[in-house]
Amino acid sequence: MESKPRLLTVLDVVTVILLLVATYMVFFYAPQEAVMGDVQRVFYFHVAAGWVGMLGFIGAAVAGIIYLIRKDRKWDIIGLAAVEIGIVFIFINIVTGAIWARPIWNTWWTWDPRLTTATVMLLIYIAYLLLRQGIEDPDRRARFGAVYAIIGSLSVPLTYFSARLFRTIHPIVIAGGDPSVTGAFDMTPLMLQTFMFSLLTFTFVFIDLLWHRIRLGRQADEVEQLRLKTIQ
Amino acid sequence: MHFLQYFQEGPADTTNFMIAGYIIIFGVMLIYLFSLLVRQRNLQKDMEVLEEIQSEEE
Repeated sequence: MESKPRLLTVLDVVTVILLLVATYMVFFYAPQEAVMGDVQRVFYFHVAAGWVGMLGFIGAAVAGIIYLIRKDRKWDIIGLAAVEIGIVFIFINIVTGAIWARPIWNTWWTWDPRLTTATVMLLIYIAYLLLRQGIEDPDRRARFGAVYAIIGSLSVPLTYFSARLFRTIHPIVIAGGDPSVTGAFDMTPLMLQTFMFSLLTFTFVFIDLLWHRIRLGRQADEVEQLRLKTIQ
Repeated sequence: MHFLQYFQEGPADTTNFMIAGYIIIFGVMLIYLFSLLVRQRNLQKDMEVLEEIQSEEE
């Protein structure tokens, strides 16, 4: 395997530092929400995780388009990496949402449009991983992955806008929304700073993880090529 | 704003839920990092075995 680039090591360190600072801000810098109490602090990383998930799925669609144009398997590796990271973070987003919902909505789960579309989106991409595994020919698998990621990405705007398009109990914190919704809150300047910093931090987490996952994907590709050569 | 505010004085005691949320966030991220490490090690081993087989064949 190729040696680890110096820039990746720097990115690792910067990401860990940002994550530590963001965690400090969440617990000690941002004030406690007046009604919901400490559980509202889940909000900062809950939304940031959703942001990373959506970045991953949109990134996979972009990689899919480029793959279909250039037929370079590098873009399939990037797409797969982005989907995998997207799944991990949307999972975090959904589970932390349920934990936040329990004391505020008095239920772990409700089939609200936002929760439902997010879950469907997660399932679509889990199916992407499962279906890929069933295709042995690397080129066919890459073509399938590209088309699937492009079509699957339609679930991203649907999930994002579901809370705006449909009647929902999910609060819309960014760009307004109904203040009477259960769980809605006004962000103070310190909350807003913590929130923006969390988004920045998780963007770094995404880039860092993506780079690592792409390197792993390249290594897996090398092993697969070697295996095919050995069999022949 | 939401129903809690009509029945309580001061913020609700929801610290345990916050702790559970952050355990999930950091726990899942650590598990994913660990899975990347394990997969990388396994691929490294596979690579060594395949290279050995190839060199034996040659």
